[in-house]
Amino acid sequence: MGMEPPPNTSKSIRKILCIEDEHFISELYTRALTKGGYEVETIADGSKALEAAETNEYDIILLDLMIPTMSGIEILRVLRDPARVPPIRAKIIVITNLEQRDDVRADIEKQADGYIVKAEITPHELVEFVDNVK
Amino acid sequence: MDYLQRLTRQTKLRLFVVILIDNSVLIGGWWLGNKILGLNGSELIALLVIIALVETGLIATALGNYLMQPLQAIWQTVLHLAPESNGVAAPKPESLRFGRELVASLSAHIYRLTTMAQEAADDSRQQNNDLQRNFIAQNLPLPLFVLDPTETITFANEAAARYVGIAAADMIGKNVYMMLDMSFPSEETFDTWLKAVKTEKATAGSSWERVRLNVRDNHPARLFDLAAYYNRDNPQHVETMLVLFDHTKQYSQDDQAVSFIALSVHELRTPLTLLRGYIEVLDDELKDQLTPELQDFMLKLRAQADQLTAFVNNILNVARVDDDQLELKLQQEDWATTLKSAVEMIALRAQVRGITLKCRIARDLPPVGIDELSIREVLNNLIDNAIKYSGRSQVIKIDSYLNKEGLVETVVQDFGLGIPTSILSNLFTKFYRDHRNRAQIGGTGLGLYLSKAIVTAHGGNLWVRSKEGEGSTFGFTLLPYAQLSEVAKQSGDQEITRSAHGWIKNHSLYRR
Repeated sequence: MGMEPPPNTSKSIRKILCIEDEHFISELYTRALTKGGYEVETIADGSKALEAAETNEYDIILLDLMIPTMSGIEILRVLRDPARVPPIRAKIIVITNLEQRDDVRADIEKQADGYIVKAEITPHELVEFVDNVK
Repeated sequence: MDYLQRLTRQTKLRLFVVILIDNSVLIGGWWLGNKILGLNGSELIALLVIIALVETGLIATALGNYLMQPLQAIWQTVLHLAPESNGVAAPKPESLRFGRELVASLSAHIYRLTTMAQEAADDSRQQNNDLQRNFIAQNLPLPLFVLDPTETITFANEAAARYVGIAAADMIGKNVYMMLDMSFPSEETFDTWLKAVKTEKATAGSSWERVRLNVRDNHPARLFDLAAYYNRDNPQHVETMLVLFDHTKQYSQDDQAVSFIALSVHELRTPLTLLRGYIEVLDDELKDQLTPELQDFMLKLRAQADQLTAFVNNILNVARVDDDQLELKLQQEDWATTLKSAVEMIALRAQVRGITLKCRIARDLPPVGIDELSIREVLNNLIDNAIKYSGRSQVIKIDSYLNKEGLVETVVQDFGLGIPTSILSNLFTKFYRDHRNRAQIGGTGLGLYLSKAIVTAHGGNLWVRSKEGEGSTFGFTLLPYAQLSEVAKQSGDQEITRSAHGWIKNHSLYRR
């Protein structure tokens, strides 16, 4: 546990956009992910996050669902719109503590590349999860 | 009708005239022979016979043509109405003569005609009834399903098609449990009721409240009351009728309670996420600098945060079970792997209380069909309870093996306080339902209630054995995946979905 995982040197550093309005959480995640060899950008506002996701290239987007100005579900829908040309390359991982109805959750999981209940994992475990998203 | 009446009256009149003339001639002949000619008995009879014969011949000739007119008219009518291919040859009207042949032919045709009229009348009555029935059934504003003795849908009205979201034509001929994915709030389901009445009764009726129907394409589930009527001997195979009374709106309002819990859970989880995050950071950074005592505190801190996370999940899932919203997706898993990893996760909680978990897993257990997250919760609850009630005892045994019924059985045994026999039977009831339990045995009811629901939904059984002062043993069974996968093949699903109330869902389908 004390050992930090070696930085990701095999290929270019992967870029992560962390869309999360709870500052303490994004701070913890950024710390762990940076140590895990990722480059992390954090945005707390929904609309601004969408704009960033549409203009910048990210490898992974961590997406909270309850965020100001625009909900995560809305952002997911826009980013995963089948009519979008070209499609967003980033893998989208939903990170939430909100409990969804099963059907809603199934809908979200269909569009996203991962679904995480934040209270269920520690920052280290998040890094492990992200490591495995290819 | 007028024509027939007139004909009858005329025929009667003519017969009367004929008989009158006939009798007059006979009486005249008798009088002539007896009084004038003085004939004896036999001579008199011979004379009368001759007179009768001559007279009959004369009358027959005279009336013959006259009488044939209405007969021919009847005949024409019969020929016109009766179909030609009725097995009786139709003679030509001009060749009609009195005689046995004519009478036979005519009565055959008339009989045929009467039968046809009767059939036509019956048919139209039947058709009218069918039309009427069909109209009522089709336009009934309530969803209506009719099942035959094999539980196949033979009729579904328009309201039913709209309600389920499947065209009536696509439902007819299908098994009702395939088409109606219903869950019931208790173990008295439509399915168990139907099975019981089929063996016990000729007719029966029943109703259920708060039935939930999962509709395809992710529509929100429908909530309704269900009424069913069973009639074994119905000649049209209308054996079972189902009528649905929608209450989705009303019942969903009750679901706000669940929303409230979901929201509270969200509020609890955010600080929990942070708590666990900071504990991890501190643990990483300070590990080497802490005294053994502080390291121990750190472990306890982590264990408590883990336990709180588990408890939050319990609250949420109990709410879901109560609302029949907990859905399980059963998949093939290696039980030893799942069990070991669950035990490892919880070992910390035992460790900080000075308890060792001794886990023994039989080799070559078959893979099980489980919803891993939910079964982990069951293990968490059983082991957490064992930790809580271990008292001074320092060992908890966890054994897993294939039992006599070929099911994978897992047993969690503690050697602590034990449970009084008087409350053993109430153990799986939700804790706030029995306050005495709560006073006596803490908050176990919640976890056990949930565990029972989850295990039952898996098709397994959760049991308890306990003696006060000697400890408790909780065990549960799981079905090998092979048993479940057959079911999956039959239903054509890759994945087997169950609701928390369990077996209830599509029971017949799974057992067939």
